[in-house]
Amino acid sequence: MSAQNKGKTCFVTIGATAGFSALIEAVLAPTFLPALEAHNYTHLVVQYGKDGETLYRNCLQKIVEADRPTTLQISGFTIDPAGLKSHLLKTKGHSNPLASPGVVISHAGSGTILDCLRISVPLIVVPNSSLLDNHQVELAEALAEQEYVVHGRLEDLAGALAQVEEVRARIEGKQWPPVNSGVHRQAKGLKGVLDEEMGWLD
Amino acid sequence: MFIKAILTLVTTCLLITISLAAYRLHTILSPHRPRPTRKHGDPVHLLIILGSGGHTAEMLSMLSRTISSPDPALQLNWSSLTYRTWITSENDTLSAQRAVVFERETGSEVEAKYRRDMHAPPQKPAQIVTVPRAREIHQPLYSAPISSLRCLLASVVVLVNCAAQGRGYPDVVLCNGPATATIVVFAALVLRFFDVRGAHTQGKLRTVYVESWARVKKLSLSGVLLERVVDRFVVQWPQLAEGGKGRRRRREYLGVLV
Repeated sequence: MSAQNKGKTCFVTIGATAGFSALIEAVLAPTFLPALEAHNYTHLVVQYGKDGETLYRNCLQKIVEADRPTTLQISGFTIDPAGLKSHLLKTKGHSNPLASPGVVISHAGSGTILDCLRISVPLIVVPNSSLLDNHQVELAEALAEQEYVVHGRLEDLAGALAQVEEVRARIEGKQWPPVNSGVHRQAKGLKGVLDEEMGWLD
Repeated sequence: MFIKAILTLVTTCLLITISLAAYRLHTILSPHRPRPTRKHGDPVHLLIILGSGGHTAEMLSMLSRTISSPDPALQLNWSSLTYRTWITSENDTLSAQRAVVFERETGSEVEAKYRRDMHAPPQKPAQIVTVPRAREIHQPLYSAPISSLRCLLASVVVLVNCAAQGRGYPDVVLCNGPATATIVVFAALVLRFFDVRGAHTQGKLRTVYVESWARVKKLSLSGVLLERVVDRFVVQWPQLAEGGKGRRRRREYLGVLV
């Protein structure tokens, strides 16, 4: 990862809680790598979780044995106890004039989504359909509707990658958290609610 | 004849008890029950409940945003909250650490307290207390009532001990979706129901629930359970508050808070 000082990074994270082997397989699939190359990506970094190491190694093996070598530099790690913020900033090309800003591909965990929105790095959200209570799909859809993220599907990550540049241009001008508009312009926020409940007079 | 008389008496007593209980519930649950009024500078006590993972992250993110808001009308002065109590689950050291870091960044030291020695008078504005988990992550469902009951008892002890200390009961309980938060809110209801140490008459233990930002169209289980009993029910997506009929009327959308 030290070689990330120039180029364009695709950072993939499956989160800390549940495994998401389908996403690891999809981003290391022989069909997806050429799509990354076509969009000038040079680095692929995969956070594969504590159960994902074997799968990750197997996928790498297949890539090495394939007929067509990839130009991407691929690296991975289980989990970073210090959190993902530094990885997201690196992907964004923060404080590095040589790098082009990259993309994050993530499971639909709200924490990761928020972190990406705050530093406005483009994000492809791929909900983990193997989880039971899948309210994460709703969040991904709602944010994609507001054009903050790309809602990716495992079967068509290459298609999602094609939409990223559009989103990148849009979120440059958008800020997070969004400024409340219209009816909620006068919204008092959490402070207002706490003040009222505390019964403060002024 | 005698038996019939006894049966009538028992039934009457039961009916009276049930209607009194229902009336009592109605009284303590009414969001319009009188609020205490305070001047700025009067001592207040906020209780914050942290859960695992995403819940803790959302709670701290929400609080950070509120205390560092550039708009003075939206900015909460943390030190105007005389006392803060944080409740975390046992073994969730990560949440406890994050609370300590949060307090430290605002310039406060934190006391870590055990439930049994909580009567000691407060030394510092902030304290952290743990309660047993309502449910372990992979715990079988049949044993959940037992662990929830343990959590409920511990929560009652924590709240009553607060009242016994100089801090007094929390004036406001702020929570989001973890199971522990649901239990602590029910503990607060129990204390208000029986007016233990003036929990109801002094207008203490008002409850504020903020639904997770990750809930767009449907409430979480905690949200469903708490919607009818909390004083304020805040959602973060307008879809959840639309169509102001019935219960939904109480849902407030104030924009994204995390």
